[in-house]
Amino acid sequence: MSLLQRLRRSPWMTPLALGLWGWLLLWSSASGRLDLLLNAAFHPVVTAAGAVLLLLALIQLGRARTRPVGPVPLGVLLSLGVALLMLAVPPAPSFSDLAANRQDSLPEAPQLSFFLPPEQRTLTEWVRLLRSQPDPDLHAGDPLRISGFVLARPGEPPQLARLTVRCCLADATPAGLPVDWPEGTDPKPDQWLEIEGTMTVQDRNGVPTNVVNPTSIKSIPRPARPLEP
Amino acid sequence: MAIAGIARWLVPQSAWVRRLPRHPVLAPIVGALLGFALPACECGNVPVARRLLASGAPLGTGFGFLFAAPVLNPIVLASTWAAFPDKTWLLWARPLGAFLIALALSMLLGMLAESQLLEPALLEERRLTQPLSRVGLLERGSGLVGGSAAMPEAPTAAERLGAGALLGHSTREFLSLLTLLVLGSALAAVVQTWLPRSWLLALGSAPTLSVIALMLLALVLSVCSSVDAFLALGFAAQVTPGALLAFLLLGPVVDLKLAGLFTVLLTPRAIAITAVAASLLVLLIGQWVNFLQL
Repeated sequence: MSLLQRLRRSPWMTPLALGLWGWLLLWSSASGRLDLLLNAAFHPVVTAAGAVLLLLALIQLGRARTRPVGPVPLGVLLSLGVALLMLAVPPAPSFSDLAANRQDSLPEAPQLSFFLPPEQRTLTEWVRLLRSQPDPDLHAGDPLRISGFVLARPGEPPQLARLTVRCCLADATPAGLPVDWPEGTDPKPDQWLEIEGTMTVQDRNGVPTNVVNPTSIKSIPRPARPLEP
Repeated sequence: MAIAGIARWLVPQSAWVRRLPRHPVLAPIVGALLGFALPACECGNVPVARRLLASGAPLGTGFGFLFAAPVLNPIVLASTWAAFPDKTWLLWARPLGAFLIALALSMLLGMLAESQLLEPALLEERRLTQPLSRVGLLERGSGLVGGSAAMPEAPTAAERLGAGALLGHSTREFLSLLTLLVLGSALAAVVQTWLPRSWLLALGSAPTLSVIALMLLALVLSVCSSVDAFLALGFAAQVTPGALLAFLLLGPVVDLKLAGLFTVLLTPRAIAITAVAASLLVLLIGQWVNFLQL
């Protein structure tokens, strides 16, 4: 009997596959992996699904001891392999690559919000504000302190950007601000930066545009929740 | 899966399945309306549609539910409204379009014999619940010669599946569908990596090409119907209205992630007919919308 046949006939395969998927969901919630994929509002659903799958695995484990089972479908082994791969390979997403392939049509804020003083606004709030009040001179000279990743689009100077997500990465929409990078700085795509400076108005392709003029650029680790609602 | 499991326990040959209309037009209408009782996207309703068909529900009801329920349910209608509150025409055009497509697909697939239409394991399970007047003894593989030709009696509580057996069946079904869903998603991810969205969206303003481009985008992106409206919001301003509606109509019926899931229900031939017919219908609807300038 080949190894594959022996695995398919093993009574432990179904509870093992269920348990691994349950563990994967719980671990993804606890380790912050979900923060890279899904809007925080849906995290409890994933956690609950993981707990239910683990419970089912335990029940099936009890049954597997007492009752003989036929060979499991090949799909069960495949799903087991996928779960193992997901546990073994850590996620290494490139937000810059993703954002470079998406349209810049930022959705409205999830709830009605009043804009905070300039230095307390997040990058996404700045982008929303600039779109709602298109006169660039209104914000010239405002102080700002924002953080985001370096978004590199082919043929364009790098921007500082954030991804907003309604549900999951599939609907992620980038919000980016142009930055007047000082001489000698070499922003790398996907690098997370915190920038302090002022908002200026510069002529970009013949159009007056709000551009961030940094006074300090600090490299920071990727935040725990990099996606914004 | 939980609902499909409960259905497996409750539905076998139960009275309400027998009372479902078998009329070629009424059956899909009933199936489509069942979506309001089960607000799920297209991946969630495949196991329920399979359970309905396995339990002997009319083909039209099963297919009406399969194709229309991903759109005709409160969550999807609410998310469409939340994403496009200013496009009131979309709020009636999307459910109406989904309903017409489900009706047409159900009637089209109903012209095929069940053996050419349904996946062999499903067909076998379905035949066990059919009356001998409709299915021959050899086809059904069980029954008493000379017995009544009536529909099998509803099972008593004692004859129903035990909780353990029910759990076992549901678990296997869950793991099989999970694998197909993961494989379909992997395929969609690979295609998306090699085919940038911007290439498809570049065709946004041409009346016919935009509809075809957005249909291709729906096929490739494989986003669930409950969130596709938010995704469409990102490019709605750059494409024609017909293309926008085509994106919202085709995705719930045909996409790369569904290709694997449908194999638990339909034969490859039936899947191909569904894909081609749904695409043609969506293209026509998109063209009409652009022509009428909604």
